[in-house]
Amino acid sequence: MLNAALPWLLAGFLIVLGAGAVRRISLWRAGRPAPVDLIAGLMAMPRRYLVDLHHVVDRDKAMSNTHVATAGGFVASMALILLVHGFGVDNVWLARALLLTTVVMFAGAVLVFRRRLNPPSRLSKGPWMRLPKSLLVFAATFFIVTLPAAGILPDGFGSGILAFVLLAGIVAGLGEMLLGMGWAGPMKHAFAGALHLAFHRRPERFGGGRSTGLKLLDLDTAGDKTLGVAKPADFTWNQLLGFDACVQCGRCEAMCPAFAAGQPLNPKKLIQDMVVGLAGGTDANYAGSPYPGKEVGKAKGSAIEVITEGLVSQETLWACTTCRACVEECPMMIEHVDAIVDMRRFLTLEKGTTPGKGSETLQNLIATDNPHGNDPASRTYWAADQNLPVMADVKEADVLFWVSDGAFDMRSQRILRAFVKIMKTAKVNFAVLGDEERDCGDLARRLGDDATFQSLARRNIEVLKKYRFKRIVTTDPHAFHVLKNEYPDLGGSYEVLHHTRFINELVEQGRLQLNARTGGTVTYHDPCYLGRYNGEYDAPRAVLNAMGIQLAEMERSGFRSRCCGGGGGAPITDIPGERRIADMRMDDIRATGAEVVAVGCQQCTAMLEGVVEPRPEVQDIAEMVAAQLVDVAEPATAREVA
Amino acid sequence: MSQFDILFQPLNINKLTIRNRIVSTAHAEVYATDGGMTTERYVQYYEEKAKGGCGLCICGGSSVVAIDSPQSWWSSVNLSTDRIIPHFQNLANAVHKHGGKIMIQITHMGRRSRWDGENWPNLMSPSGIREPVHRATCKTIEEEEIWRVIGDFAKAAVRAKEGGLDGVELSAVHQHMIDQFWSPRVNKRTDAWGGTFEKRMRFGLEVLKAVRAAVGPDFVVGMRITGDEFHPDGLNHDDMKQIAKFYNDTGMVDYFGVVGSGCDTHNTLANVIPNMSYPPEPFLHLAAGIKEVVTVPVIHAQNIKDPNQAKRILEEGYVDFVGMTRAHIADPHLIAKIKMNQVDQIRQCVGANYCIDRQYMGLDVLCIQNAATSREYMGLPHIIEKTSGVIRNVVVIGGGPGGMEAARVAAERGHKVTLVEKADELGGQITIAAKAPQRDQMAGITRWLAMELTRLGVDVRLGTSANAAMIRDLKPDVCILATGGTPFLEQNPEWGAKEGLVVSTWDILNGTVEPGKSVLIFDSICEFSGMSAADYLASKGSLVELVTEDIKPGVGIGGTTFPTYYRSLYQKEVIMTSDLALHKVYREGDKLVAVLENEYTGQQEERVVDQIVVENGIRPNEALYYELKAESRNKGQIDNETLFDIKPQPVLSEDTKDGKGMILWRLGDCVSQRNTHAAIYDALRLCMHL
Ligand SMILES: Cc1cc2nc3c(=O)[nH]c(=O)nc-3n(C[C@H](O)[C@H](O)[C@H](O)COP(=O)(O)O)c2cc1C
Ligand code: SF4
Ligand code: SF4
Ligand code: SF4
Repeated sequence: MLNAALPWLLAGFLIVLGAGAVRRISLWRAGRPAPVDLIAGLMAMPRRYLVDLHHVVDRDKAMSNTHVATAGGFVASMALILLVHGFGVDNVWLARALLLTTVVMFAGAVLVFRRRLNPPSRLSKGPWMRLPKSLLVFAATFFIVTLPAAGILPDGFGSGILAFVLLAGIVAGLGEMLLGMGWAGPMKHAFAGALHLAFHRRPERFGGGRSTGLKLLDLDTAGDKTLGVAKPADFTWNQLLGFDACVQCGRCEAMCPAFAAGQPLNPKKLIQDMVVGLAGGTDANYAGSPYPGKEVGKAKGSAIEVITEGLVSQETLWACTTCRACVEECPMMIEHVDAIVDMRRFLTLEKGTTPGKGSETLQNLIATDNPHGNDPASRTYWAADQNLPVMADVKEADVLFWVSDGAFDMRSQRILRAFVKIMKTAKVNFAVLGDEERDCGDLARRLGDDATFQSLARRNIEVLKKYRFKRIVTTDPHAFHVLKNEYPDLGGSYEVLHHTRFINELVEQGRLQLNARTGGTVTYHDPCYLGRYNGEYDAPRAVLNAMGIQLAEMERSGFRSRCCGGGGGAPITDIPGERRIADMRMDDIRATGAEVVAVGCQQCTAMLEGVVEPRPEVQDIAEMVAAQLVDVAEPATAREVA
Repeated sequence: MSQFDILFQPLNINKLTIRNRIVSTAHAEVYATDGGMTTERYVQYYEEKAKGGCGLCICGGSSVVAIDSPQSWWSSVNLSTDRIIPHFQNLANAVHKHGGKIMIQITHMGRRSRWDGENWPNLMSPSGIREPVHRATCKTIEEEEIWRVIGDFAKAAVRAKEGGLDGVELSAVHQHMIDQFWSPRVNKRTDAWGGTFEKRMRFGLEVLKAVRAAVGPDFVVGMRITGDEFHPDGLNHDDMKQIAKFYNDTGMVDYFGVVGSGCDTHNTLANVIPNMSYPPEPFLHLAAGIKEVVTVPVIHAQNIKDPNQAKRILEEGYVDFVGMTRAHIADPHLIAKIKMNQVDQIRQCVGANYCIDRQYMGLDVLCIQNAATSREYMGLPHIIEKTSGVIRNVVVIGGGPGGMEAARVAAERGHKVTLVEKADELGGQITIAAKAPQRDQMAGITRWLAMELTRLGVDVRLGTSANAAMIRDLKPDVCILATGGTPFLEQNPEWGAKEGLVVSTWDILNGTVEPGKSVLIFDSICEFSGMSAADYLASKGSLVELVTEDIKPGVGIGGTTFPTYYRSLYQKEVIMTSDLALHKVYREGDKLVAVLENEYTGQQEERVVDQIVVENGIRPNEALYYELKAESRNKGQIDNETLFDIKPQPVLSEDTKDGKGMILWRLGDCVSQRNTHAAIYDALRLCMHL
């Protein structure tokens, strides 16, 4: 009886899966068009899955093995089930192979099951708690059902009551695996995930590449096009697809600084809310951690309803520091930050509801080309005593020193002066733009004002065009990122270096000699825009090393560094939470026992120094280097560069 | 962005960009050596200010351009010889290296000097009228000499330029030659150099023309002037506006420095460098008045001590640059601290005028509270580095300025420091001194130290009387006694201190004794305590007679401070009597009788009063020292050779864990009575090597 029913059952489930898939695809297609090479994407998919995605998953070895066993076991089992039970290919060896794959899958499912016995808080519960049982049932049932075909049990095995039990198992197993895949069960991730990998909006990320620059917003509003994303349907179709790939593993949640600070943001919930939005409905079935301070079950939306009018609150979107910790951690390679900024673009450009000091800051940027509304003529005040060569005079230099808006801030000026001292000591041929420099546009862009970003960027590019230089060096990782990764879209392509890399080069070339630093323990804080955004983890450490410093590394360092709280305009939008991100970061620092935390970013410096004393001292690497220079009559003390 | 942004707006003087709006104005440093050369001490003193961020230093207060304006009395800078040029180059380089700018004040002092030394010159002045402050008689300057001095100015300016300095400031203030010609009080000439406004202006104009012609159009030439001489027969504010406009309109002056008050009497002199009895910026309005009539930047200094004050003055546009001169003597890193958001770490000038009062005596300028100032060349640090050696347990007994400085320096070095103070508050004798009228700012010295001790995490134990057992319990590696002293009333048993017939100035200032209705203060010391007690009692309504056997009450107080005491005491009708010693005191009914004896005739006279206060200095509190001395490894001794050489005490190289006991030092008045600076200096030079 079973043997007769099985092919039909399989066929039936496959048809339902197909119908589900078609429906799901139609949901995604509600999104805006996106230029994707479908064929190439599909061809590349297996490799992206097996190599790139595995690379991320493999950070958690146990989970990686579990997934390989379960998923690999399932895919192989399913193929064999179709052959053995679907098309009735009568081959003992095929059947025995199927036995093996179901055993592997079962073993994997046992591990999943065990993990679900006491799941960490980041994991979603709900249907996800059912999944390991379904996996076990699926594997066990098909193992038993296949025993006769493998010649281990007699052919007639499995009649009567047992047949009903097995049938129930088959229905349950196939239901979870196939029906769930097309119709929004946990297994949806396999289907959506695979396609998401194939049609990813940042294919450059695969094969070890890095793609972190935001995409240019088309400012043309002809045909009533909304700027940014108001409704789920305003996302591109492959973004919607990406949301659907989420496995609710909560790795993003565990890394999110805003979540940890008790601000109303949880990247996992956000992605799930996008899923609710694209399919229509409420978040009542969401079984993971909420946005801190917000109740679950109240959110509802659909593809054509404005997201911030019922689905996600504006505060959630403004709490993000754009640190990319979630993106870095996501095994499904989902792009949270793109989505958040897309939605911010709508809020800022169409609604004008940038909170906190946001609107004021943007107005300042528009009026004065700097975020605090400083008199543009005061941009060079800090350098009145520095005798810096200015591009307008010299026209040409090896290095263009991009000063950034730190020029207006007394604390940052110490970093700038220290770096100038370093360059002068190493006899670097450099020049600055002086009054011709403008804010790089980073802040405007993260706050969703792509118009202001583009205007600043275009004007900066115009200025840069006038001069000849080999490379740009800056002490500001935000400017570094924008100039390096986001200006090319507007026609400005340069070799851009962070000052730590440049200093390291000078040291390696023997152009800078550094004394060994004495004194207490030092740790290093990786700025998000230097580390995760640009992969620059080594140069700062090498420079510290060159001063004889043995770093006491934080647990959260390198690509897992915790944001200082200063990115993405978060200090400006200032969404309240239970704690301050900078305080948590300072606790990370304190845990190393360090007396000094080395940083490579003026924003990090400002955030960390905002933590009430007593606390470790915060020093930019440039300041530390300037104090250890050999061959200058007097190394620069903090007060001297002040 | 910071609240102090306005301070950090660069501004040009002529073509010279000054990085911020803070200036150290010209002051006679008394550091030049070798006949007026700017040598090592001089250079490092200014380099420290530049390092600390000062925008512009105008050095060399009253630097002379000619050999008949004596330089040696105040070791001032001598621009009358080409020998100065290489020294200027050193000076300019040192300041420029740190982004600062440096100019020099040049002058011929005319009659404002002394003739009885150096080359024994005849001093010169427009009309040969004697100058009272220096008791200086002089001749009437002749036409030939006038032209020669004009030429000397020009040559001196060229030397400054060749030495790489950024400019010169012509001193036409404090009654030097140029303003001697201006002032009808001193200039009684009837020839081409006196009489009408234009004729009185002529000397200054000829100097300006000659200097400008010699240095060219781009080199900065400024002028320092008074805003009002405050003499009925002198130049008033309107006159000064007219003068400023006159010179401004020549187009040859690049900036004006403006200060309030004339300077040729003791009383006006005190205005020039206002001590702590003055309100903040007392003469700003005069500078603002001059700014109204000129078109070039105006600098003003006089009692601007605080960055907030400087900021307000600039924001309100009264002047273009703020002079913070003593503020920089007290803390050359003032600007850096503002920039580093460490305003509360600034060692703020308290206006004790130790600096200027030394200067008037021809002694090198030192700050009462910052012993590193001008001793940079000896290696005394403004930033104390952490030790790389052993961390010691340092116990300091006594929370006066010496003990606090010792604790601060030791804590900056990274040691574990405990400070024990008997009283319920820190400050020691400074706390008492600050109780007198108009002297409350003295407490700024110890307030800063107290804040630093908190910042540095020193374990401060107040209300704790230390004894030997307690010190042993604390197991110090180093124990520093700074236990101060006690008023010395027992010197003459006839005073009846034992019987309680006399009380001390401390009793009065501390309020432990109620002020009597009629009070006789006998002051054998003639410094601050006696004057302060008199001022205090008078302000409480007592009838006070201040008696001394010395030349005059307050004679030991410097030239800018005794006048402000006198103003206050005379106003309150305190009687000041000199040449009488207190011979004996006895009781008669509910009154006390003071028997006074004339120092020169031996004649006695009596005063019947309610209260007798004796100021006779202090005796060291040394009991604890002698109790601990024997068990200390160094027997309490300080090696003077290394101390004076600013080297580590030899005993510091021993291992203090070897069981030979702690290191014991004592400093300040518990050794012998000296002053605040002495205690702080010893504390710094001892503890900086800990
Ligand atoms: C020790 C000392 C010496 C001074 N000598 C001169 C001088 O030679 N020429 C001068 O123009 N001003 C002199 N001054 C006055 C200062 O330039 C300044 O006007 C005064 O100290 C008030 O400013 P302050 O309150 O910022 O200290 C002297 C001041 C001090 C403290
Ligand atoms: S970018 Fe950072 S702050 Fe924003 S959601 Fe991701 S982890 Fe959270
Ligand atoms: S977004 Fe990525 S990291 Fe976050 S829960 Fe989903 S799959 Fe996991
Ligand atoms: S001695 Fe006094 S007046 Fe002079 S700088 Fe020091 S604190 Fe100020």
